[in-house]
Amino acid sequence: MILRQDLTVLEDFVAEWSDVWLVVPVYNEAQVIGDVVRHARQTFPNIVCVDDGSADASAERIHEAGAHLVRHPVNLGQGAAIQTGVSYAKSRPGAKYFVTFDADGQHQVDDVVRMLKRLQAEELDIVVGTRFLAGADTSHIPLLKRLVLKTVVMLSPRTRRLGLTDAHNGLRVFNRTVADTLNITINGMGHASEFVELIDHHHWKVAEESVTILYTEYSMAKGQSLINGVNIVFDSVMRTGSRH
Amino acid sequence: MLIKILLILAVVLLILLFLRHHGKSNTAAGVKIGFAVFMVFGVVAVLLPNAVSEIANFVGVGRGTDLLLYGLVVAFGFATINTFLRFKELELRYAKLVRAVALQNSTVPEEKAPEPSDA
Repeated sequence: MILRQDLTVLEDFVAEWSDVWLVVPVYNEAQVIGDVVRHARQTFPNIVCVDDGSADASAERIHEAGAHLVRHPVNLGQGAAIQTGVSYAKSRPGAKYFVTFDADGQHQVDDVVRMLKRLQAEELDIVVGTRFLAGADTSHIPLLKRLVLKTVVMLSPRTRRLGLTDAHNGLRVFNRTVADTLNITINGMGHASEFVELIDHHHWKVAEESVTILYTEYSMAKGQSLINGVNIVFDSVMRTGSRH
Repeated sequence: MLIKILLILAVVLLILLFLRHHGKSNTAAGVKIGFAVFMVFGVVAVLLPNAVSEIANFVGVGRGTDLLLYGLVVAFGFATINTFLRFKELELRYAKLVRAVALQNSTVPEEKAPEPSDA
C-alpha cells in the first residue's frame, strides 16, 4: 500500500516536468552515465542521450538507465551531438523546454530546476549557467581554468555585450523558439561560442543563473584540456571571417 | 631539354585531371579561369625562361625564379584555404548525414517508473 502511494507521489512529481527534455551528449562515459541518468530521471522523466560514437558500453548503460538513446554511427563532437539531441527532443510530443546537460556528472539537477523556473517566470528564451556571477565563490574551480575562462570572456566583445560572464558553461535551459532555430554547425567544442553568437544574432532574451560545477576527479581527467582553447578560438575566428 | 618536356607533360596531366573532375565539382568560375591562366603561364615559363625574368624585372623582382617562388607561396595559400573551406563544408554535410541516420535508429526506453538510485 505504502509503496503504491509513494509511486503516485513520484508520478505527480515527474509529471511536473513532463514538458522538459534533457539533452545529454555522451562520449565514452560508460563509467558514470548510468548513475547520472538515473539520478536526473528522479526529477526529469524525459532524457535523450546522444551517444557520439562511443567505443565503450555507454549505449548499454544509457538504455538500462531508461533514457532515450540516439547513436551517432561515428564520432562527430559535442556540438553535433547537442544538435542531434535537440532535433530529437523537439520532435517528441509535448516538448516545450530543453536543457543541455553534461554526461560526466558535473551539473546539478537542482540548478536545472532553478533555471527552468526562472525561464518560465521571466519569460526568457534561454538561461545559461555561470560559474562567475559577481560574488560567487569560485575557489573550487582550478586556478588555471578560472584564468583561461575569464580571458575567453574578456576577449569576446559579443559575450560582454550580452552581459554573459561564462561563455563556456555547458548547462543551458531554453524554450521552443530557441530549439526551433538552433542550428549548431561547429561539430566540436567551439559550439559554446556559436551558442553565444546565435543568441546575439536572433536577439533571444538571455539571462544567467549561478550554478555549481562539480569538479570530480573523473570529470577533471575527462574534461577538455586547456590547450583545446586554441582550437575553439581558431574555429570562432574562421567562422567570423567566413560570415562577413 | 628533358626538364621542359617533363614540365609540360606535368601541366597537361594537371589539365586532364582538372577536366575529369570538371562536372563533379562546383568550383567557382574564377578559380577555373585562374587555373587556366596559370597553366598557360606554366607552358610559357618553360619555353621562354627569359620572358619570366623580364616580367619579374617589370614588377620589380630581381629574378624570374624569385617571381615564381612568390607566386607559388600565394598559390599555396589559396589552395590551403580552399581545401580548408571545402573540408568544413564536407564536415557539415557529413554531420547532417550522421544525424539523419542517428535519428532514424533512435531507441525509446521501455515504459517503467524511474528507479531510485543512490547516486
